Amino acid sequence: MKRVLPPNVSAAQFKDALADFAKAIGSDWVLSSDEDIATYSDIYNPGPEEEWLPSAAVAPGSVEEVQEVVRIANKYKTPLWTVARGKNLGYGTAAPRLPGSIVLDMGRMKKIRMVDEELGYCVIEPGVSFFDLYEHLQKMGGKLMMSVPGNGWGSVMGNALDHGVGYTPYGLHASKICGMEVVMPDGGMLRTGMGAMEGNHAAHLFPFNYGPTWDQMFTQSNLGIVCSMGLWLMPTPDSSLQLTIDIPKAEDIGWVIDTLTPLKVSGLIDQNVFIPSWLGKISVIGTRKDFWDKPSAIPEWRVNELLKQYKLGYWQVSMRLYGEVDVVKAKAEVVKTAFRKQTDQPIDELWWHKGDPTNVMDTTLGVPTAVPLQMGAWVGGRSAHLGFSPVVPAQSSHVLGQLKRSQELYAKYDVDFYASFTIGGRFVNNINMLMFDRDKPKDVQNIKDLFDELIVVTKEAGYGEYRTHLNWMDEVAQTFDYGDNAMTRYNEIVKDALDPNGILSPGKQGVWPRAYRQFARR
Amino acid sequence: MKTPLLFGFMLAVSSLGAAAENSGMPPLPPHQMRLEVPDGDRTQSPASGEQLFSNACGYCHLTFGMGTNVLMGRRMAMGLPPQTALLANRTDLTADYIAMVVRSGQGDMPRITRVDLTDSELALVAEYLTRNNP
Ligand SMILES: Cc1cc2nc3c(=O)[nH]c(=O)nc-3n(C[C@H](O)[C@H](O)[C@H](O)COP(=O)(O)OP(=O)(O)OC[C@H]3O[C@@H](n4cnc5c(N)ncnc54)[C@H](O)[C@@H]3O)c2cc1C
Repeated sequence: MKRVLPPNVSAAQFKDALADFAKAIGSDWVLSSDEDIATYSDIYNPGPEEEWLPSAAVAPGSVEEVQEVVRIANKYKTPLWTVARGKNLGYGTAAPRLPGSIVLDMGRMKKIRMVDEELGYCVIEPGVSFFDLYEHLQKMGGKLMMSVPGNGWGSVMGNALDHGVGYTPYGLHASKICGMEVVMPDGGMLRTGMGAMEGNHAAHLFPFNYGPTWDQMFTQSNLGIVCSMGLWLMPTPDSSLQLTIDIPKAEDIGWVIDTLTPLKVSGLIDQNVFIPSWLGKISVIGTRKDFWDKPSAIPEWRVNELLKQYKLGYWQVSMRLYGEVDVVKAKAEVVKTAFRKQTDQPIDELWWHKGDPTNVMDTTLGVPTAVPLQMGAWVGGRSAHLGFSPVVPAQSSHVLGQLKRSQELYAKYDVDFYASFTIGGRFVNNINMLMFDRDKPKDVQNIKDLFDELIVVTKEAGYGEYRTHLNWMDEVAQTFDYGDNAMTRYNEIVKDALDPNGILSPGKQGVWPRAYRQFARR
Repeated sequence: MKTPLLFGFMLAVSSLGAAAENSGMPPLPPHQMRLEVPDGDRTQSPASGEQLFSNACGYCHLTFGMGTNVLMGRRMAMGLPPQTALLANRTDLTADYIAMVVRSGQGDMPRITRVDLTDSELALVAEYLTRNNP
């Protein structure tokens, strides 16, 4: 494994820094062997895994140790790249944007500090995984329900801080953060929200500060290290009904969105509705080679043949309603009537009542699972994926436009098209999946070229991504170009003021401190 | 009844059955009710190999986990019994091989850091997974 040092740090200084870290947190938690470095590389990187290598990793076990690590990093000017559990697969895993940074692995801090079942919230540390919290809540009697992403292997906090998305009414995870304890770039401590008052009882209940509100400033950001976080949890509903409907044609997504959006905006549907395209369904039945034996993308005629053969729609919409049985029944009638105006397709109904077992991978009931990681089996080999993830208004004109642009570019680059639309409110998160075999450099380059062009074409049409892989953090930041990139300038002013040495996660989301600005790709 | 599809994946395993042992609650499949690991110095782990395997590897390698699903397909295609998809049932794994897969990854399995599983914990897991070797 190749070794990289932090920029402008000599081998001797680096050695001294590691020795100081070892004194502060114990030598067992300073991880710097070749094997360690490899475990923190991005195994899903579109390109060599050595592209984004850290120089080492450090894993503090307490808030005080985090503070000490930050002080030492400032002393030696060794940048830290903070991760919670570091399972950010598709967006860079645990690897740093600036090679040579030291991964600050917060995974050892995994206390669930409290759960309040009455008011519906918990206070957690970074290392708490979705499974950890799920099991904890179940052992308490299951009065509260989580919201989980497709990959349940990661950290509840890490996912929320990276603007992660789940599929329950609490699925916009960052919006459920309330009150954090943060180590600042100088090693000092800050509590946000009502928690800024020592001993305040509403620290995790009221979503604002007295004065400017800073919680969101620490999401997708490099301005602090979150050591604990209040997160609101939904009371487990009495019952829930899932309505599932196959939607035959690609262009039908237009009326589907126009049918669902008013129900979502009015609050009748309160979950984030996930709508995947056919590839998601067919990959359950087999892998790519079972359906199409050529390297070229599966052509439209073959897609139509497959949909017919396996009795699948181009899309599948699965909506979930939550609440008391009578309420759910009444809501279901409204939803069914709205769909009946558009289609005769059968609507499947699947009831769940409190106390019933849940499907083992039902993210819409907040059940964590890692099974979706199998998705890669579709392409075969050592598989990986990227998501191109623009946000578009929840209206047919915008959604159909985005679909057409993506489809045309996928066709141009001869790649199988797989997209999903998740209605999260007045907007839709459109995830375009790009799957590849890591050991086929030509395919990987093709995917990268496609990704580059998706960014440009989508920006020209007036849309931007909500989150992206390390490789495009600068490019996507540049698409937010109002006022000659006023936002980038503002981010840099704040960054330089709070973090003069540029110690915390340089380059995260395209925000570069003065010390490392020459590494920005602009 | 149609099973709604999520991210294109459905449960691929059913023959193993979910052992629901937690009383008074809806039964949870084993990979969603992993064993707890006692607090203590993780560099000289006070836990048992079984607890550690369940807690750290159970996300994927207990019944219904992703790793079990993948191995099930692979092993059945090789004409091997489905129970051998569960690593805890295997009798042919060696400690060196386990350590290699954990730290280097394999197929869809990413590499596991020493924060996720310390060397001491890995040794205990390996001991557990090789306990029935001939
Ligand atoms: C098959 C598959 C399906 C997926 N489905 C989804 C999905 O449905 N929804 C979704 O959102 N994602 C999804 N993902 C992406 C990703 O795997 C998850 O978002 C995962 O939760 C991120 O990893 P993590 O939770 O370990 O976070 P981490 O990698 O630990 O953290 C993510 C980022 O948050 C920041 N951060 C973390 N901890 C701190 C801290 N203490 N202080 C300050 N900043 C911090 C850092 O910038 C870090 O890079 C999917 C991935 C795959 C492979």
